[in-house]
Amino acid sequence: MAHVVAGIDPIEGRPALIEGGPDFHGITEAVARPMEWKPPLGWYIVLGISLMMLSLLGISIGWLFWEGTGIWGNNIPVAWAWPIVNFVFWVGIGHAGTLISAVLFLFRQRWRTSINRAAEAMTIFAVMCALIFPGIHIGRPWLPYWMLPIPNQMGMWPQFRSPLMWDVFAVSIYGTVSLLFWYLGLVPDLATIRDRTKSLLGKRIYGVFALGWRGSFRQWLHYEKAYLLLAGLATPLVLSVHSVVSFDFATSQLPGWHTTILPPYFVAGAIFSGIAMVITLMVICRVAFKLEHIINPLHFDRMTKLLLVTGTLVGYAYAMEFFIAWYSGNLYEKFAFINRATGPYAWAYWTMVICNVVTPQLFWFKKLRVHMGTLFVTSIFINIGMWFERFVIVVTSLHRDFLPSSWDYYHPTFWDVATFVGSFGLFLTMFCLFVRFLPMVAMSEVKGVLPEAHVPVEDRPKAATELAVT
Amino acid sequence: MAEPTHRPSSSSRDGGGTIAEGAASGGGAGAGREASTVFAVLAEFESPKALMHACAKVRDAGYRAWDAHTPFPIHGLDRAMGLQKSWVSAFVLILGLGGAGLGMLMQWFVAARAYPLVISGKPMFSWPAFVPITFECGVLGGALGAIGGFLFLSRLPRHHHGLFASAHFERVTDDAFFISIEAGDAEFDAAAAAAFLDQIGAQRVETIYECGKVA
Amino acid sequence: MVHGKVTLHEDAIVVPANSVWRRVPLLAGAVGVLALAISGALGWQQRDQLMHSYLVAFLFGLSLALGGLFFVLIQYATRAGWSVVIRRIAENAMATLPLFALLFVPIALFGMDTLYHHWSHPGDDPILLSKQAFLNPTGFYLRAALYFVVWIAASTWFYRRSTRQDEERTAALTGTMQSVSAPVLILFGLTTTFAAIDWVMSLDPHWFSTMFGVYFFAGCVVSILCLLILVSLSLRRGGRLDGVVTVDHLYDLGKLLFGFVVFWAYIAFSQFMLIWYGNIPEETLFFVHRWHHGWEILSILLAAGHFGLPFLFLLPMDFKRNSVTLSLAACWLLVMHYLDLYWLVMPSLHHEHIHGDVLDVTCLIGVMGLFVAVFAHRMVGHKLVPVGDPRLAESVAFENV
Repeated sequence: MAHVVAGIDPIEGRPALIEGGPDFHGITEAVARPMEWKPPLGWYIVLGISLMMLSLLGISIGWLFWEGTGIWGNNIPVAWAWPIVNFVFWVGIGHAGTLISAVLFLFRQRWRTSINRAAEAMTIFAVMCALIFPGIHIGRPWLPYWMLPIPNQMGMWPQFRSPLMWDVFAVSIYGTVSLLFWYLGLVPDLATIRDRTKSLLGKRIYGVFALGWRGSFRQWLHYEKAYLLLAGLATPLVLSVHSVVSFDFATSQLPGWHTTILPPYFVAGAIFSGIAMVITLMVICRVAFKLEHIINPLHFDRMTKLLLVTGTLVGYAYAMEFFIAWYSGNLYEKFAFINRATGPYAWAYWTMVICNVVTPQLFWFKKLRVHMGTLFVTSIFINIGMWFERFVIVVTSLHRDFLPSSWDYYHPTFWDVATFVGSFGLFLTMFCLFVRFLPMVAMSEVKGVLPEAHVPVEDRPKAATELAVT
Repeated sequence: MAEPTHRPSSSSRDGGGTIAEGAASGGGAGAGREASTVFAVLAEFESPKALMHACAKVRDAGYRAWDAHTPFPIHGLDRAMGLQKSWVSAFVLILGLGGAGLGMLMQWFVAARAYPLVISGKPMFSWPAFVPITFECGVLGGALGAIGGFLFLSRLPRHHHGLFASAHFERVTDDAFFISIEAGDAEFDAAAAAAFLDQIGAQRVETIYECGKVA
Repeated sequence: MVHGKVTLHEDAIVVPANSVWRRVPLLAGAVGVLALAISGALGWQQRDQLMHSYLVAFLFGLSLALGGLFFVLIQYATRAGWSVVIRRIAENAMATLPLFALLFVPIALFGMDTLYHHWSHPGDDPILLSKQAFLNPTGFYLRAALYFVVWIAASTWFYRRSTRQDEERTAALTGTMQSVSAPVLILFGLTTTFAAIDWVMSLDPHWFSTMFGVYFFAGCVVSILCLLILVSLSLRRGGRLDGVVTVDHLYDLGKLLFGFVVFWAYIAFSQFMLIWYGNIPEETLFFVHRWHHGWEILSILLAAGHFGLPFLFLLPMDFKRNSVTLSLAACWLLVMHYLDLYWLVMPSLHHEHIHGDVLDVTCLIGVMGLFVAVFAHRMVGHKLVPVGDPRLAESVAFENV
């Protein structure tokens, strides 16, 4: 497995990944504390609010099933609106976890160990939220199994040439693989909790999920290989998932949707929004659960650099779309983009540009990259901007289609808003339960990046083969 | 300075008691149950470095049924233990390619055989449209292969393991480093193994008995 | 822990006086000039063919130089430690960019009547007339000048500082280069994109794809990684870089090569599939030209040879750590990268039938001869490794299993 020499960087004095020089046991204590202590009052308050929002989701979906999709603002020409916007928004949020866990792992970014667990959990909860929307959007919510290739008495099969079918596979497989990756990472930490907890029930439950892990190095060897390979599989998977989501739009012939840069542009945007969400959550969690030394400014500095990179890539894609729409010489292409920037939805377009392209430029300054207040505010702005990006793509491309007689202006209804707010309830409820009942920092990985975990090459014993030669 | 490559001689069966303290507590494993079979000898080491050097010595002493136990993976320990590389990758490759193949086959069957429909003037078997799902199925197969391969090769999940009888061993998931030599070989001698582990720098050595079985 | 200084043996980091590399600049330069002269003489009567063959060769060399610039910039931007020992090779590649400004002269002189005659003589084509604000000769020349100014300024600025650091050994220079690298990467991205649009996409001026700049960029990175692998391996065979560039560095290059082969395939497939699926005439024509009259053979060869085979070949870890298999893959992918550019350019001239020409070969030898000459000249003139880089020790000790 790849690893770097634990040296001090001569330029920047490459700082310690974990502050305060805790020992291995100190890491266990710090991470296990939120699960063993009485949670702070704030946790109950947040959970209470989240549960209320979650019940709003339940009510919205119940009313939707009773009354039908007419309760939403979707109508011709804007037949796809908030539900698909929310779906893409949540899938996008779900990209940061795998990026941080898998891509940064392959690039040997060891700072990822402090945040990867929480980011992966966030991924899974975001994918859960995302899956709700196509599920309830299909009009006949008792028939979603028609999307699966199940032999049936009607002799009917799914249509695999439809990008919406690709979505079914891409998102559900992404959810599955993310869950497996997350669980594999959890196994050693679950064993830690199993060995620490005093309650018999806790020992049983954590014990079952820890699979009988005993830290055997023969098992660690297979474990690390499996983890590396899962990271290698998850990396193209994460690129493919949002690419497939972009195909939903790009395979059409609609100006504003049909453009070849959409796949990498969607991926960059997804990572952008996901990291913003990780920053929002981590700024709060590190203080609430006293993990400031484990999740420290270094991690935020690195994550905001990723925001700067992905934000700039998104800006590049906006510019290329605009330029090529003009360059194409195609009247409809030109109109679609001029209409975005100057038409009735110009307010949404410029909200998107300011939040997604202008805001991250603050992060050219080191001071702002580690200033928690700035981070909290800007990360929320970025998430607003990324929601608006999907809104702009979906709604502005549809609301003025080829026939001016059918032009319209789309308005969301109360139930559109309630369902979206409710999905945040699901996300936050899951996250609250996660921080209470599972270790939110990957203990075994953080211990592995402490300086004392590393045995330098020159201090290692000779390999067996070298001995045999002498 | 190479260690001898034969097992330590079994001369001090009785004298070993001074070094090896019995597993006095935890899990109900027989404290003082002289009649029980020895399951393993467990030794704790101070640091990753001490563990790595001890592992190299255990390896060179020729033991087979032994293992190191650590709270996190230590780089270089696989070489010190003389382990071969993991074959999880074979599982991933086979299941990954198999998944991708099945994915394409399924789409061909559905779109070109079972339910042929002309969609936007495209051929029945329009392979470019089938690439995304083929890829996703390949990744799913590979991921299941990685998890399945890991579990199979590690013989997990398992309900119990003899080492859990030791109370000290709970710290293996926190901050302690262990070597266990199991009574796997016919030539295993608990006392000699304990003495050997003590000699190569263990902080604490204990003998763990198998519960239930009587010699 | 590895701190501070390492001392590298002089043999490892300097090309010796009797090395064959010393003779390469003159030899390759002579071959290059000769081959270009022959191309000119042979192709004077068939200038369309000559210019298309020349453009492919020009783009091939340029993509190596631009790939080198990108590689250097990204190493500084990410504060990478592992790559220090191979960075100088990429720096030598990017230092050839002034040569390409010179080699651009024939395109500037004869391009408007050959390569770009569609849009430079738009007639009454309404689409081309609507593009006149961008696709006009003056704009084309000005933009080309701008690209070369940016590229030459950036590469010279970084090259000077990196070689000066060999003597001065100041860490501050690295700090300066790090802070400059990120904004320069943005400039690099924009100039490379628009160069690809101007010089390649506008060959078929009705066609457009927002992905095109990324596609060209992916090819640049694949080619520079191949070059880095091949040059460092050949230097090692000659006894240089001993104990400096190790199998661990090559393994990382192999992994990056694998990654960018997949990235290229991802971009290529997405571009193809979306256009195939949308099936809009003005877009689809690009692929229609490349799927008939023999061009389909090249298309299939690229899909298999630029992605399928190298993907499987570079998958096992052992093949990326073995110098024979790795250099085989690098050679193969350089050939494929040339064919990829050929596939982009040539069907706009020969869409009635696939056609190879002797000018393709002579132009390639000409451009690459000059590229190798300048590259080797830079290489023998400086240390093979940036010995003053403060992260050198980390890079030498790099371990990657």
